[in-house]
Amino acid sequence: MRKVKRSIILLTVSAMIGVLSACGGSSNGNAGAGSPTASSTSSPEASPGGAAEKQVKISLFQSKVEIAEPLEALAEKYKEETGNEVEVWGSAGDAYATQLQAKLTAGEGPTVFSVATGEEAEKFKSYFADLSNEDYAKNIAPDMALKDGDKVVGVPYGVEGFGLVYNKSLVDPQQMTDLASFTQLLEKFKAEGKNGISLSQEAYFLIGHIMNTPFALQADPQDFIAKLNNGEVKMADTKEFQEFARFLEAIRANAENPLEVKYDTQMGDFAVGETAMVHQGNWSYGMLADFGDLGFDIGMTALPLSGNDKIAVGVASNWVVNAKASADQIKAANAFLNWMFTSETGKNAIVNEFKFIPAMTNIEAENLDPLSQAVYEATNSGETIPWAMNYFPQGIIVNDLAPAAQEFFLNKDMTGEQFLANLDAAWAKGAK
Amino acid sequence: MTTRKRKERAWYALFTLPLLIVFTTVVIIPFFIGIAYSFVSWDGIPANPKVFVGFANYADLLRDERFLTSAWRTIEFTVLALVLVNLLGLVFSLLVTSKLRGGNAARTMFFMPNLIGGLILGYIWQFIFTDAFKFIGEKTGMESVFFNWLIHPQFALYAMVIVFTWQMAGYTMVVYIAGIQGIPDELNEAAKVDGANLWHRLTKIIFPLLMPSFTICLFLTLSGAFKIFDVNLSLTKGGPNNATELFAMNIYNEIFGYGNYGLGQAKAIVFFVLVAAVTLTQVIITKKREVQF
Repeated sequence: MRKVKRSIILLTVSAMIGVLSACGGSSNGNAGAGSPTASSTSSPEASPGGAAEKQVKISLFQSKVEIAEPLEALAEKYKEETGNEVEVWGSAGDAYATQLQAKLTAGEGPTVFSVATGEEAEKFKSYFADLSNEDYAKNIAPDMALKDGDKVVGVPYGVEGFGLVYNKSLVDPQQMTDLASFTQLLEKFKAEGKNGISLSQEAYFLIGHIMNTPFALQADPQDFIAKLNNGEVKMADTKEFQEFARFLEAIRANAENPLEVKYDTQMGDFAVGETAMVHQGNWSYGMLADFGDLGFDIGMTALPLSGNDKIAVGVASNWVVNAKASADQIKAANAFLNWMFTSETGKNAIVNEFKFIPAMTNIEAENLDPLSQAVYEATNSGETIPWAMNYFPQGIIVNDLAPAAQEFFLNKDMTGEQFLANLDAAWAKGAK
Repeated sequence: MTTRKRKERAWYALFTLPLLIVFTTVVIIPFFIGIAYSFVSWDGIPANPKVFVGFANYADLLRDERFLTSAWRTIEFTVLALVLVNLLGLVFSLLVTSKLRGGNAARTMFFMPNLIGGLILGYIWQFIFTDAFKFIGEKTGMESVFFNWLIHPQFALYAMVIVFTWQMAGYTMVVYIAGIQGIPDELNEAAKVDGANLWHRLTKIIFPLLMPSFTICLFLTLSGAFKIFDVNLSLTKGGPNNATELFAMNIYNEIFGYGNYGLGQAKAIVFFVLVAAVTLTQVIITKKREVQF
């Protein structure tokens, strides 16, 4: 009996100590696991590259599902080459900004994370560390760096482009130059039992990207968005948007319902030749590559809205360093970014594994896949339209525009005018 | 003070203090901080200021149509789920306690879905409702029943009810089984001798004596259905067009989607008061009907 009693006391006391020490531990905030022990040891013998001093373990969180695996592989290689650890937290797709904010607010933010240029960067700017004096920041291509005032705060992933990715054996872009010919083409495919164009249910692939076109075709997209936010203009009264609604009507009438299509089914159907076109970007090539030899060539062309023949190109996302992390972690984060952007392994991974079109002067773009090649050529010739969607109010695509688009694609009776009115209403709600 | 008394107090403190500390730090303190947040306007970035706005958040949520729609949909969901879960739980428990062959195996299988997390369950059923249903519809020609339920505003809600029932019915079954086994056999046998048929035995003996189980099960399903989030997120994400955005998800979207921490917190407080009021009323009502034999 006494033995039992004693063990109960022991158990309770140890449980209490556990609770108390757990309370104390959480106040460390951003300091990641293992930081105190790892920082004190330095290993002079393990420095093949010269600069590889022992750094604390850092964490990394980013939005692109496509590079999740190669990024983890790169972190492994980094550990092999330098002995330093980077923990990759996976990626979250549409929910990225939400999860990032939750983590940052809880004081458990990653050391390195990604933000999109524009509203998203504006929102998180109080977390950005100044990178102006880092070596790798000097290699960023002109006008490509993410800046806060004069300070460089973010390094671009690379440039990306999106438009209509098409099957060259089925579609000739010359035959698709305006709404009438576009509709005709879709009708032709429908008659043949094929899907002419496929959007997919994810918020950006459903409406976010395709809606960029009418915005980008405005004389000054940023100014137009500002006026839209103030309610000075309406999409329903703007010519490009009226035509845009006609395009979506044509898609709804002649193609598979996008709400029944997921990104992977969208690309799968395209890869086997059942879908002629998908509205996607060069990032989707990674998925097509998984299917091996497609048996046809692919290309990227523009949504022929108001005679537009340019694809949309912009900076995909930027790497930033969390200024709220400890000084040791910031140092380690810069060491990692420096390694990624200057070492042969890192540069190779960016071009060949991530399939990014680099926005750095010290990285050559070669052996690009066909979609990236199209984007690269468009960038070099200046035949591009901007990513106006980066200046949309924060979160509006997922929160407000996507539900409105879902309603449009579900309700066959809704006209394009009603849809534009709904979009205007959704915008007014999202912009306040 | 005698040594015995002191010892007793020490024991008392030893057992209650750890609990008290845990409860205070993870429930009481956050709860009061939450109430405080509901009076400010804040976007969730620590560097940005929190502005005191008084009851403006509460006034806003009453004008928020999306919130009110979501409230209505939650009630619809809860009523449907409550009825289905308890009906099925009761039927299952009666089935497996009657001396049927394979009763034990059936019991295990009915309970199994409860062991799978709501998120995974949602993804499994998402596949069934979208791909499997469409396939069955195309093969059998019954496309009016078997279509992609998740893109129909009303059927998407029914889909959630089905998944929730699938998850919870086995759990309530276990509670009902315990209740049924607590009823002495003599009562049933005496009734049988007196010529009572199955229906009479059910309504006059089993159900009244099962009241304590009803109290527990109704409470569990009621609060569980009101607070549902995981199935909502993985099965429909609130779509299509926010038609299945239930209470908890609406609060989540307000806070993390729109970054209105204050307004979202105000909604959460209203939500808490509502759930507490409804479940307490239910417990009081069903408690009154419990009988002793």
